[in-house]
Amino acid sequence: MQDNILIEMKGVQKWYGGYQALRDVNLTVRKGEKIVLCGPSGSGKSTLIRCINRLEAIQQGSIVVNGHRLDDSIKAIDVVRQDVGMVFQSFNLFPHMTVLQNCMLAPIRARRIGKTEAEATARKYLERVRIGDQAGKYPAQLSGGQQQRVAIARALCMQPKVMLFDEPTSALDPEMVKEVLDTMIGLANDGMTMICVTHEMGFARQVADRVIFMAEGQIIEEGAPDAFFRNPQHARTRQFLGEILAHH
Amino acid sequence: MTPHFGLPEFGFLLRGLQWTVLLTLVAFAGGCTAGLAVALLRTCGHRGVEWITRIYIGIFQGTPLLLQLFVVYYGLALTGLKLDAFVAVAIGFTVNASAFLGEIWRGAIQAVPRGQTEAAMALGLHYSSRMRDIVLPQAIRISLPATIGYLVQLIKGTSLAAIVGFIELARAGQIVSNQTFQPLLVFGVVGAMYFILCWPLSWWGSRMEARLALASQR
Repeated sequence: MQDNILIEMKGVQKWYGGYQALRDVNLTVRKGEKIVLCGPSGSGKSTLIRCINRLEAIQQGSIVVNGHRLDDSIKAIDVVRQDVGMVFQSFNLFPHMTVLQNCMLAPIRARRIGKTEAEATARKYLERVRIGDQAGKYPAQLSGGQQQRVAIARALCMQPKVMLFDEPTSALDPEMVKEVLDTMIGLANDGMTMICVTHEMGFARQVADRVIFMAEGQIIEEGAPDAFFRNPQHARTRQFLGEILAHH
Repeated sequence: MTPHFGLPEFGFLLRGLQWTVLLTLVAFAGGCTAGLAVALLRTCGHRGVEWITRIYIGIFQGTPLLLQLFVVYYGLALTGLKLDAFVAVAIGFTVNASAFLGEIWRGAIQAVPRGQTEAAMALGLHYSSRMRDIVLPQAIRISLPATIGYLVQLIKGTSLAAIVGFIELARAGQIVSNQTFQPLLVFGVVGAMYFILCWPLSWWGSRMEARLALASQR
């Protein structure tokens, strides 16, 4: 079933100067899998997914995405970024462009498709995240939840093979978390391969195939959500789950 | 008998004003073009290139403009390249403006949030598109008040061109004043001309600044 492997990280090590951010990370993600990454802040979970689309360089180990090995060549980075969509904590929409322009830019510039087709694709995905009626507005005119849904649509317009979510609901007001999570659940149900860094354990229970717990740059434990939440193996995991579930 | 300040003298000042405006436009256009290159090189991420542009900026910001004009006009003449006074000062001001505008825009480029570049990279956009479509449109907006402020400085600074014999507004005023012995009147008119040129720009610049401050509060 080698063909089904979409992402393979082997022996990945990363340092920021003298500080080691990732320690011997091994991770295999198959097509259609939904993975939730959790862990205390500074545990390296954001760093891990940012290595997958080469926003961060690694110092040791290998990362293969959809059969393309990520090295320093611009071509490899290009190919991988076309296959990998990313949603950020702070949305990072382009403030000087309308919602529609935000969604059309990358397909036109990076995929080199025509304007008409790009617009049709953009409108399709904006409808899908239920925000089609806001296409002519600027990001600043939208609520946080709406902005994040636009960011999801913008990434989908590149028709990625996998979507990375870096704490997509952490910057949102509580009443807007649900609309974003619902969008992500819809995406998961459609079969999108997803890696989500999030503390939304309800979301993890509902959609994740695997939950991975990280601490100090290492993967400590992983498992199906049921087993992971009911019967965590490591003391470090139990402590973390105790802290974040205490309020739920 | 000494002539009084009349229409011919006023016309002479107007021609000086024309040269001041022309020199400013040429220097600003040239400075913008070269300054953009300086700003892009200064932020390109390549250490060596960034250092070279840093030295370039340092030299032109750290030495008097007057000296730079001397070097272009007299220095180049010594090497056999005899330049027309206008061409010489236009080159001098262009190079000087490129250093100042380059540094203003370097700051503006770096003031665009890092997340914008990251989002663009994650979408697979190349450097040229990231700059043209994402970073520069936002950086230009940020830098507009400072850029306009520099333009006002440039208009007034062109009076230094008189030093190599180029007759612009300030030099024209000096000539007329020497002929008419009415320095207060003549320089009053010259000052008013500079003011009419500069004040609307300053006003526009500060309005831009206020508008930007308002936008960043949202």
